[in-house]
Amino acid sequence: MKGRGPGLVAALALVFLHAPLVVLVAFSFNTGRFTVWEGFSLVWYRAALADPQLAEGLWNSLVIAGCAASLATIIGTLVAYGMWRRPAPLLAGALYLSLLTPEVVTGVSLLALFQGGFRFLHLRLGFYTVIAAHTAFSIAYVMIVVSARLRQYDRSLEEAAMDLGATEWGAFRRVTLPYLAPAIASAALLALVVSFDDYVITSLVAGIDSETLPMVVYAMARRGVSPVLNAVSAFIIVGFGSLIVISQRLQK
Amino acid sequence: MMTRRALLLAGAGAAGCTPDRRPRLNVFNWSAYIDPAMLRRFEDERGVRIRYGTYESNEEMLARVMSGNSGWDIVFPTHSRLGPMAAHGLLAEIDHTRLRGLHNLGQRFHSPVWDNDLRWALPYMWNGTGIAYNSSQVTDLDSWAGLWRDDLQGRITMLDDPEDVLGACLLSLGLPFSSTEPRELLAARAAGMAQKKLLRAYLNAEVRDQLVAGDVLAAQLWSTTTAQAMVGNAALKFAWPREGFPLYCDCAAILRESPRAELAHEFLDFLLRPDVASANARVAATATANGAGQQRADPVLYPPDEVYRRGFWPPALPAAAQRVRDRLWTEIKSA
Amino acid sequence: MTLRAWSLLPARLVSTFLLVVPLGIVLVYCFLTRGDYGGVEQPWTLENVERLADPLYLAILWRSLWLAGAATGLAALAGYPLALFIARSGRWRNLWLQLVLLPFWTSFLVRTYAWIFILRDTGLINTTLIRLGLIHSPLPLLYNDGAVLAGLVYNYLPFFVLPLYATLERLDNALPEAAADLGASPWRTFWRITLPLSRPGLVAGSVLVFVPCLGAYLTPDLLGGGKTVMLGNLVQNQFTSSRDWPFGAAVSMVVLLASALLLAGLLRHKTARELL
Repeated sequence: MKGRGPGLVAALALVFLHAPLVVLVAFSFNTGRFTVWEGFSLVWYRAALADPQLAEGLWNSLVIAGCAASLATIIGTLVAYGMWRRPAPLLAGALYLSLLTPEVVTGVSLLALFQGGFRFLHLRLGFYTVIAAHTAFSIAYVMIVVSARLRQYDRSLEEAAMDLGATEWGAFRRVTLPYLAPAIASAALLALVVSFDDYVITSLVAGIDSETLPMVVYAMARRGVSPVLNAVSAFIIVGFGSLIVISQRLQK
Repeated sequence: MMTRRALLLAGAGAAGCTPDRRPRLNVFNWSAYIDPAMLRRFEDERGVRIRYGTYESNEEMLARVMSGNSGWDIVFPTHSRLGPMAAHGLLAEIDHTRLRGLHNLGQRFHSPVWDNDLRWALPYMWNGTGIAYNSSQVTDLDSWAGLWRDDLQGRITMLDDPEDVLGACLLSLGLPFSSTEPRELLAARAAGMAQKKLLRAYLNAEVRDQLVAGDVLAAQLWSTTTAQAMVGNAALKFAWPREGFPLYCDCAAILRESPRAELAHEFLDFLLRPDVASANARVAATATANGAGQQRADPVLYPPDEVYRRGFWPPALPAAAQRVRDRLWTEIKSA
Repeated sequence: MTLRAWSLLPARLVSTFLLVVPLGIVLVYCFLTRGDYGGVEQPWTLENVERLADPLYLAILWRSLWLAGAATGLAALAGYPLALFIARSGRWRNLWLQLVLLPFWTSFLVRTYAWIFILRDTGLINTTLIRLGLIHSPLPLLYNDGAVLAGLVYNYLPFFVLPLYATLERLDNALPEAAADLGASPWRTFWRITLPLSRPGLVAGSVLVFVPCLGAYLTPDLLGGGKTVMLGNLVQNQFTSSRDWPFGAAVSMVVLLASALLLAGLLRHKTARELL
């Protein structure tokens, strides 16, 4: 298995991974509705930009993903640090379980919780229920990324700082946190993407003002193939693609 | 302009503070079922805001409003869901004294079978399930039984809906659409399983593009969606099946949880205006229940009387029958 | 309270109230009676759990296991050479890794939609083949198990490549080289040395692909045309169109249990544990 074998299969696999998206984006510039190239045009982009539901969905998604990713990053980093100091197997198990619970089950269980809670507290589904749900399932992702970085961290660094008179909190803030910064940044990005992308859980716990972009996209896909959807997809692909590239550059 | 306002509203909602102090009405309707200009008109006339959301199925809507604190004021359930929703305490009674345009409703909708004195909801738009087919390649398709034709293998779709599919199976066998007889339902299941081999897929609105493109030659479909597809392909035709066919009426209802009953009634009255109804029907490309607002005489949307007589408004199924049907549907789908 | 206790507190609160308690509620639902219009009612019953043994649902379980297994196998076939190639590509490895991950960063719905766009009758493949004169009428590529499998593999392939790459990268190159020096063929070296040593990554990758496939519902829904019922669809239907929450809860618990067992198995592997 040295030679060219893996290289060839790898090339095919990469084509398999990228071709669908390239095709999707390419045809967002097509004049016609169908999969026959009829000429270059931006008409579908104009249609997408003029759609108020898409604009609102995008904005809601950005607000929700922003809030949920921030919360999850803080909580996930802290829990990774705490478990690095001394393992907490039960908590770790619960968080790993959240990663492996099928989305439908997570969504349904949260809906059950919220509906039960509403009966007593007179609350409503809305932004905060979506943010709470997204935070809950993003923590595990953050924890895994930050834990990986902590595994390579030398315990004596923190101890040395404390020997030099730093408090426990001071040592964490001045020594450990800066060391973790790049991992925290990647974790935050991952949480952002995971939250921005979610449809299944969101659709179950969203309220009247919290329709997210994936919900709008799903409704559109259900109504049939439309080049407007290609244009929206291109936005998402290019938007996230550049975000990733920029963050990689910054970390170097 | 609309975009910027939508952004602003969403942003304000997110921040939990409302710069816009106008009262707000929350309307939850089927997608593409209203003329957006009419919403703006109501907003301007009354000095209120409308938060307008859309759904794709009754189930999606029910899942949201079931808790009794969804935040929506007005929803548009299909007629057969009104009874169960009312029994569950979800609906507020309509106050007829607040409606000036009630007489605009079509003759057939003054006292419908599902809600004799219009206690729970006002008929809004209606349509039926029949067969859409491509007349350039298929002829003589005017019965449910025709959807079992071998020569159309792989080019037929059925709706992704247990009631409509099992109902079509029953009708094709000469049995009643809403049957609860176990023996009849088992026969329908057998028919459904036999048909599955011929089917391309179970599709709802997505089938429209495939009909236009000519990928699908025959589809169990709603008259409204077919009318929309016909605009894109002149060869498409719609058949109201010989054996009979279900009709569905989507009705505007006020949720009991709504704290804005007065404004909600005003909106319902607004929808009853003939010019508003006809604008909405034009945009939605469907049949309006508003007799005064009906403008077109499209035989797909408004079947002539002798055809209409073959149609029926399916009632809500008892819970036990629903269970049996769910199971049979799962059996067909996983066969 | 120590700093450690403080740092764990928020996660403890969130995992208790937003992960454990909700799942507990679903567990309780399993033993209640369905309400006529959704929701749950008294009395307590074992009926929903007993219904799981119904051959109909066992067939759906079996089908889901089969499809998830097939997707995992295909992901392994495509993902192993890819991971191996990246692990051995020296200073380019970061670039390759980025390329594998890039599609993953875009929306799940977009990725699934891309396949509808390609596979449908007027989609890219059929249009191209017809234009080339290779076929006359479109091939039925969409709305079958093949399309569902393609969608599943496509969506979860990066989950397989990542942990496997991490194992292969750490693998000591001295062993395969020694085997080659001793005259073993490349294939033999691979089968006897590289493959066994990369087992932890293989196991972790398989679990990470298998579990989400088992609960998948959007992919079979959109690419399968409603002709394939997987566990995810069954759960979804119970909570929506069938309005049978207790049974939906019971099926959810089966999916969750299967996932948890796989996870527990994975965590018993010490090396695999380190990959997570």
